[in-house]
Amino acid sequence: MRPYIEFKNVVKQFGNFTALDHVSLEIPKGAFVTLLGPSGCGKTTLMRQLAGFSEPESGDVLVDGKRMNGLPPFKRNTPLVFQEYALFPHMTVYENISYGLKLNKTPKEEMDRRVQEMLKMFNLVGLEKRFPKEMSGGQQQRVAFARALVMGQEILLLDEPLSNLDAKLRVDVRTELRQIQQKLGITTIYVTHDQDEALSMSDIIAVMRSGHIEQIGSPWEIYFRPANRFVADFVGTVNFLTARIVSAEGGTVAADHNGMLLQIPTEVPVEPGETVTLVVRPECIRLAEPGESVPEGKSLEGQIENYSFLGRIIRYWVRVGEEQFIIDDANVDLSGARSGAVQLCLDTRKLHILKDGGSHDT
Amino acid sequence: MASGVALRESVKEMKRLKNEPLLMLAIIAIILFVGFFVVYPVIRVITFPSGQDYMQLFQKARWFTALKNSLFMTLISTVSCTAVAFLFAYVIARLDVPCKGLFRFVTLLPIVSPPFIVALSYILLFGVQGIVTKQLLGLHVDIYGRLGLWIVQTVTFFPYAYSVIYGVIRSISTNLEYAAYNMGAPRWRVFKDVFWPLCRPGVAGGALVAAINVLTDFGNPQMIGGDLALLPTEAYMQISGWYDMKTASVLAVALLVPAVVLFLVKNFWVGKRSYVTITGKEISLNPFPVPKWVKWGLFSLTMLISLFILLVYGTLFYGAFTKTWGYDWSLTMKNIQYVFLKGKQIWNSIRYGFLASLGASFLAMVLAYIVQKKQVGINRLLDFLGILPGAIPGMFLGIGFVMAFNAPPLELTGTSVIMVLALLFWNIPTCYSSATAGLQQIGASVEDAALNLGANSFRSFKDVIIPLLKAPFMSSFVLSFLRSVTCLSVVIFLYAPSTTVGTISVMVLVQSGQYGEAAAFTIVLITIAFTVLKLAQWVLGKQGIELEL
Repeated sequence: MRPYIEFKNVVKQFGNFTALDHVSLEIPKGAFVTLLGPSGCGKTTLMRQLAGFSEPESGDVLVDGKRMNGLPPFKRNTPLVFQEYALFPHMTVYENISYGLKLNKTPKEEMDRRVQEMLKMFNLVGLEKRFPKEMSGGQQQRVAFARALVMGQEILLLDEPLSNLDAKLRVDVRTELRQIQQKLGITTIYVTHDQDEALSMSDIIAVMRSGHIEQIGSPWEIYFRPANRFVADFVGTVNFLTARIVSAEGGTVAADHNGMLLQIPTEVPVEPGETVTLVVRPECIRLAEPGESVPEGKSLEGQIENYSFLGRIIRYWVRVGEEQFIIDDANVDLSGARSGAVQLCLDTRKLHILKDGGSHDT
Repeated sequence: MASGVALRESVKEMKRLKNEPLLMLAIIAIILFVGFFVVYPVIRVITFPSGQDYMQLFQKARWFTALKNSLFMTLISTVSCTAVAFLFAYVIARLDVPCKGLFRFVTLLPIVSPPFIVALSYILLFGVQGIVTKQLLGLHVDIYGRLGLWIVQTVTFFPYAYSVIYGVIRSISTNLEYAAYNMGAPRWRVFKDVFWPLCRPGVAGGALVAAINVLTDFGNPQMIGGDLALLPTEAYMQISGWYDMKTASVLAVALLVPAVVLFLVKNFWVGKRSYVTITGKEISLNPFPVPKWVKWGLFSLTMLISLFILLVYGTLFYGAFTKTWGYDWSLTMKNIQYVFLKGKQIWNSIRYGFLASLGASFLAMVLAYIVQKKQVGINRLLDFLGILPGAIPGMFLGIGFVMAFNAPPLELTGTSVIMVLALLFWNIPTCYSSATAGLQQIGASVEDAALNLGANSFRSFKDVIIPLLKAPFMSSFVLSFLRSVTCLSVVIFLYAPSTTVGTISVMVLVQSGQYGEAAAFTIVLITIAFTVLKLAQWVLGKQGIELEL
């Protein structure tokens, strides 16, 4: 199937600085795609190439097979919700939402109907006559969404729209936003540096760094099968273990880490004798119950050094020889955290192998 | 290499202008205007005298003395202005004392008044016919000269330094002081180690603003300087008395050089050393209380100065309604009637001020908009054009206009046009900085948002930018109008009998000893200025916008 939105080898430079270095990305119709990365990685720049606020030096931007390069922003039909909302301070809520409809000369009744629909959808009924500065941040943000969606376009661009909200509201809004997006079937590009937002809302995540896309994949792939150390580290908390491959047969490899033999099911092609990096998420390690018999060679002896109680889990820092492990224990006991010597069990099904020590960062 | 890249970027940006003819036209027009009406007159004045003429500045004792006097007066008046300004700013921003409204009012008065008003009032109080000297004390003292000028300039120009220093003090978070207390610093150490270092750039900035005003002041020295030779008054005498343009040019250039130095230091040195960024965030904690004796000591001093300033204005008001100052103290309306007889001059003040301010605000707005919101490759040059006229003393610009536009291609001498144009370009920097401040309030992406919703460049400018520019436009217009109506130094070289304005009449009246009429004229000018200011504040206030001067 032909992708709906397509970036082809897009290059963007600001003076000597290369913001986008031959970036390609294909987005299917109706998908929610997140551009995830640290600040300065080029994620906003990539989105602005589609909105037309800047033009790439080379490469193409296509929507539904049509080349968008050179088209001014006001002819692109790519409504964008800005990070700081960019509501017109001199217009009321109604005027803000209806501005785009006014521009394309929508008849009055039709305009009223569509604005009312948006006001209902975003819980803004009764606030039509307010000016932006008379509303809370959350309300302003809903107006920004309404203003973008009222146009009924096929595409929605979101530039860190939740970053100015407080933590609890942010979680509520992202659920709501995802529901609306799925209901309308609107192809959405979402820019953020927040991994939780990316994992919870997206169909596809593109992790970016220094003008490159490091990995494109579903939230599951990004989290459990990161392409390299950078992605693994940027998305979530991670333990990196160095291991040597002992044998590799029939989709299962045996890897040796400090004398512990781990049987790992994997599709990554490795050779015996090769040194690899294992990606181990904190929740993939379990603290063995006191007195539990753990099979030889499947566990590590450690010493709890520190912990942090987070309610639903306890995060432990456990020293094993020279290394420190981060472990999230979901089995929280009412009486408090554990201490002293523990045995660690690894859930080998969720381990991921990075070749070449995970250093191939391109 | 970096500059090579920057240059390439600039060229690229300039090439893009081909697609926006209106923008390109505006840029070309602005460059031509400023070039023709600011740069060209300046060059005319500088190149008019020969090298020999310039040498006379050091050879003729009187002129060298004028140079020395000007610099000396600037030095002492700046010191006193800054001290008084800091006192007012500190008391208003940091102390819990009554009468702050009065103190604020006092700092506003001199800004909306003609520049010579304090001198005039000083004569009425302490002069030969003065109410204090002659009537109360029976003294006969010579008030003309250094001391009188020093006092007068301090009162006249400290408000300019005050507004800079106050802005900086207000934006220093009291949390920083509390942090120092919290770490165990006593009050005096907090002031010395935290508060004062943070104020210092603001104080330096305020001092420089005062210095530029004192240095280029014409009205006060003309009225109260007496025999004290100063550069602006000497230059005026050369032109009005001897029609000696060469000497006047030499003296004007001698004034321009220190003015430009002060200007450059203010804009490029002090600006870089400011620690305080104005975020508009409210300061949450109350200022830490200072010892009682310090608080009330500072309060008394501020009150004393405020009362003196009120006395100055009160005297003027009284003078406007007094028959013959010094001889017949009975009240009369004849002075006010005289002003109405000379209504043409007041009308000229309003007319020229209105037109010049309209032009200056418009030009400055367009310029500020381009510099702030468009990448055209020469943004820094355009920015410089906006602030450049600020380096040129008013009287220098006046002389420049005389020399540049007294012959074809543009023969404007004696017309209303030359008055308007001179005031217009003299006001550009004021309007420009006001417009820039207003534009910076507009979020960067608001215009993008309009484009994104389907508005083309023209629609987004019309629907979004213009409505948002209303407030900065109004404030720059009002500021420019106040300056124009009260301006003397620029127009004194350019007026003809039919284009005389209010301020010039006052000067002539003072010189012929008609103090009552002069006072009445001044009162009318201040009333107009205040009315316009209040009107604008009211109109903008109805839209929820605060007019800041």
